[in-house]
Parts: sequence; structure tokens; C-alpha cells
Amino acid sequence: MTAALLDRATLAEIGALEATDDIEFGVRLLANTPTHESRDHDRLRQWARTADEFGASLAHVAPTARVVESGDGLAKGLLARYTSRPVPTVELFTDTLALAEELIDRLGWRHWYPAGSVREAAIAHEAVHEQLHHGPAKSALKQSLGHVVLRAGRHRLYGHVAGADEIAAHAYARTVCGLGRSPLLLTAALATVADPQQGSPHGREK
Amino acid sequence: MGVVILLVMAVGVAAMLTRRLPTAFALTILAIVIAFLAGAPLTGENSVLDTVIQEGAPALAATMIAILLGSWLGKLLDETGIAGTLVRKIVEFGGDRPVVVALGVLAVSTLVGTVTGSAPAAMLAGIIGIPAMIAVGIPKVTAAGTILMGIAAGMPFELPIWQFFSTALELPVDTVRGFMLKLFPFALAAAILFVLIETRRRGVEHAWSLKSASAKPASRRKQLGDAPWYALLTPLVPLVLALGLDVAILPSMLAGVLYALVTTTRPGEMNKRLLRTLYGGFEIAAAPIVLFIAIGILLAAVKLPGAVEALEPLIKAVSPQNPVLFVVVFTLLVPLCLYRGPLNVFGLGAGIAGVLIAAGIYPAVAVLGIATSYNQVFGVSDPTSTQTVWSAQYAGVTPQQVMLRTLPYVWAVALGGFCVTAATYL
Repeated sequence: MTAALLDRATLAEIGALEATDDIEFGVRLLANTPTHESRDHDRLRQWARTADEFGASLAHVAPTARVVESGDGLAKGLLARYTSRPVPTVELFTDTLALAEELIDRLGWRHWYPAGSVREAAIAHEAVHEQLHHGPAKSALKQSLGHVVLRAGRHRLYGHVAGADEIAAHAYARTVCGLGRSPLLLTAALATVADPQQGSPHGREK
Repeated sequence: MGVVILLVMAVGVAAMLTRRLPTAFALTILAIVIAFLAGAPLTGENSVLDTVIQEGAPALAATMIAILLGSWLGKLLDETGIAGTLVRKIVEFGGDRPVVVALGVLAVSTLVGTVTGSAPAAMLAGIIGIPAMIAVGIPKVTAAGTILMGIAAGMPFELPIWQFFSTALELPVDTVRGFMLKLFPFALAAAILFVLIETRRRGVEHAWSLKSASAKPASRRKQLGDAPWYALLTPLVPLVLALGLDVAILPSMLAGVLYALVTTTRPGEMNKRLLRTLYGGFEIAAAPIVLFIAIGILLAAVKLPGAVEALEPLIKAVSPQNPVLFVVVFTLLVPLCLYRGPLNVFGLGAGIAGVLIAAGIYPAVAVLGIATSYNQVFGVSDPTSTQTVWSAQYAGVTPQQVMLRTLPYVWAVALGGFCVTAATYL
């Protein structure tokens, strides 16, 4: 990262991000997720809060996936990635992680994100995806969100809220890694300076 | 002279492959050169100007109208939120299980594929379908492939395609429909197997993306909301009419347009929406219509008596008559329909099909079998076809990655098509 990347306009943009509360970043994540185009802001905020609380309350689990590292995260617009096949693997993108650490220092955010905590958060984040993918936590999250898609008398069918697992994963990482702010704030700040050229046109890789 | 014509065709393929000339222009130039080489006069009977250009250009007019109506219906499906609502419901009901979401999006793509083909179909199903699949953990190549395999599964029921093969091969629509019904199980089985096998092989993928927390302006769809449940039946309307009730293709498609309109639009807004989506449909249909004009011209050229006379001995010598050999040879030739190759039915392949029929090498219905089988491959895996390029790029992968992943499945569909053709028509 060069000093030019943190010019006055970028700093002002990051300042605005800093003033935004963590739940709002969850709302943005949901708004960027397809299937939520017609949802109003209040509903998205309620889901973001619930998913955040759910993730924060998840019991601490030791990650079991193998961890590998690669250096092309900035080109892909990624910090970390979990793949379940052929064996559960967490891929950490060292260039993006290094940029994140540098940005934290430059912005004076070290009290929120202690040294090495981004790497730790990335592993914790992906561990939740593994847990939500394989374990019973997935239906628990769905029930807590309470998005009823079908009603028949007393019976209710809860619908899947796309993107909620991502918010839960960030909230879990924030809690277990002792971060002062959501990793989503750091993600937004990184996106401001990294300006990834690749990735999905719909705004999310996941 | 036959060899010279084949050499000219090879030059035409090279021009398309290297993108020196757009396919439609290359086919038209090819047709005129072939006509001159075949000894056609400038004007009069079997001539370059009167037969090849004047009669050839509108020869596929019915297909062009069907393409336009399909594009119109596609535009309506998009503007009224019908396609988006279908995908949204699938994610809400089956989002817990990525394979269920992928199968659901596959079903939507299949339905959309029956209405309109090519890039408009990919966009209709993919604009929400691809990110929705990625959001529940489907890897990107699998997501793009699912859309394409779904569209290809719907292709045997795509009414404009029936019209195209009926006109181009001079076969009754009933005959085309009959073969398509036999091809459909292969296409559907391959599509379902693609989803089941690929989601199992590749598992799920979740990523911490830099873009996940970015602010994004509200989309137009926000104001549109969900389409009512009965409007979601729109893609079935033309299909039920044409397949179940034997209604002709164009009125069936018009009925689909009207159904989509009355189930989603207030009476006062109908005129405006109809006109807006029709004009939008013209824009979508422009590229394929130009291509069909060129294909009509090429077909007219290769059917000239001089061309048939020159090409017949050559093509006869390399065209297997034994059913087993027929299946083996045409299966091995499958890659030649990729990269705008000579067996691409929306390119030179149409001309070759015309020669096979005009020279009497195979019955027209067997040529239909060959052409439609290749079309199943081209429609999914060709990295130069618009739907493949769009789906791959929208998912954030390369068309070549999608080709490599989908090719085994569609190659098997083509094999199935050739087996049916050999067993039934040879």
C-alpha cells in the first residue's frame, strides 16, 4: 500500500465507515446478496442484528479444516476462502492479510484489531462456515431469523435468509478473537483502498 | 470444385474463429463465394442475387419472428420480476441445501430455456440465479454450468428452435418435435447429473470477500417486488399450448406474452409495458435475427445445383452409412462444433446440414438428429457462444473453465442423440 492510497478523499471515506455501526455493515452485506432486492431496510437490519447475535453467541469450536496460504487474494478480492472438498480447507490470502495489517496500523485501529488478529479472525470466520455447513447450527440460525415462508395452521416453515451465515461468521470471529469492531468494518476499509478489479459482478464472492 | 468450396469454407471458419469477421458477415460472404464457385449466374433462376440473397435472406423468417416473440416474452419475464421471483423462492425454500438450490435454479433455467435461448435466457435465469447459488456455497464454475445445462435441458422444447430446424431442414414441425422429445431425456439427465455430481465433487465454497460490506445503490427490482404465484407459470403457457394442445408456435408464444402481461400488470399500464418490452425484445433479438438472415443465405447457396453436384461425392465419401460407425464418427467429431467450428449449427454447420440433405446422403430427419445433438453441445460448452461467455464472466470465471467442466456431460447428450438417430432413422 502506498501513501497515495490514503489520500484525503480515501481517509474521509474510511472516516464515514468508522462512524457506521457494525449492524449497518451487516445490512449492507444482506442488501448486496441476491434475493433481498425487495426487502426494506428495517427488515434487513432486524435480520442483520439477529444473525450478529447468533454468531456472537456460538460456542467456541476449534477449527478442524486444514489451512493453506496463497498470495493472490487482492487480485481475487478475497481475504479467505473455505472449501469443503476434497478435504475441508481454509485458504488464507497472505497479500490481503498483509494489506489489512498495514491498513490497521495506518488508521490507528490497532486497539480494535490486535496484531495477528485478522489471520485469526479469518480462520475463525471460515470455521463457522464449516460448522454451519455440516452441523445443526444452520437450522438454529434459520429459526432465530424467523423468516416465515409458509404457514399452515400452527405450522410454520422458516425460509433461508441468504447472507445471514456470513454475518454470523463475522460476529463469531469478532467475539472469539476479541476484536473491538466487526471484521466487516475492516473489510469495507480494505475494499476502499484495494479496489479489487476482479470478483463477482454482483458484489460478493461468497 | 468441391475441394475448392471446402477450402473456402475452411477459410470462413478461420475468419470466424479468429474473430476477423463477425459470424453473420462471414457466412454471407461465404455463401456468395460458394454460389459463384458453383457456377451460379448473377441473376435469374438459381442465381447469386435472386436465389441466394433475395430468397435466402427471408427463408428463415418464421424463425426470426419466433426469436422476436421469445425475446419479448423474456423481456416481460425480466421486467415483471417473474424470473427473479422464481429464483428467490427457491433460495428461501431450499437455501439450507446448496444442491437443492442448484436443482431449483436448474429447473428455472430449463423453463426459461424453453422460452428463449442464448444470452437472454442465461441473463434471465442467471442474473439472480448465479449469485444466489454462489451465496449458498455453490462454486462459481458449477453455478455458471448449472445455468447453461438448464438452458440446454430446455432447448429441446424451445419453440424458436423447432421453427428453425423445421424451416432450415424442410421438415414438418411435428417431426422436429418428435425428435426433440426423444432428445429431452438425455439433456435433462445430463443436467441433473451435472448438478448432483459437480456439487458432490466440488462441495461448497464460502469466501470472505472484500466486496461484502460495500454500499450499493438500490436496484430497480426494489420497486417491482415479487410477481404473484400464478404469474410464475408463464414459461409453461407456450409449452403447454404447443406441446399439449398442438397450437402453432407463434400463437403459443403470443399467448405466453399475454399471460405474463395480464397476471402482472394493471390494465392502465398494459399498453406501455407491452410496447416497452416489445422494443426491448427487438434489441435482444437483433443479433440472432441477423445470424438467421445469414444462415438462410448460406443454406440457399449450398443448395444450388452446382454446389450440391460439387460437394456430393466428397461428403458422401466421408459420411458413414453404418449405424455404429455413424454414432462413433459423429461422436468423435463433437469438438468441431466448438469455437465456431464447422459443425456449429448456427454457423457453417447449417450449410453442411443443407448439403447432407440436398445431396441425399442422409434422410432429413437423420440430419435433424445430427444438428440438434451438436446444438446441445454448442449451446452449453462453446466458449465463444454468447450465453457461455456471459454466464462464465458473470460468475467470475473463464468460459474455458466452464467448457472443460460441462463438456463431458453434453458430449454424452450428443452421443445419446446420435444413438437415437442411428437406431431410428438409418
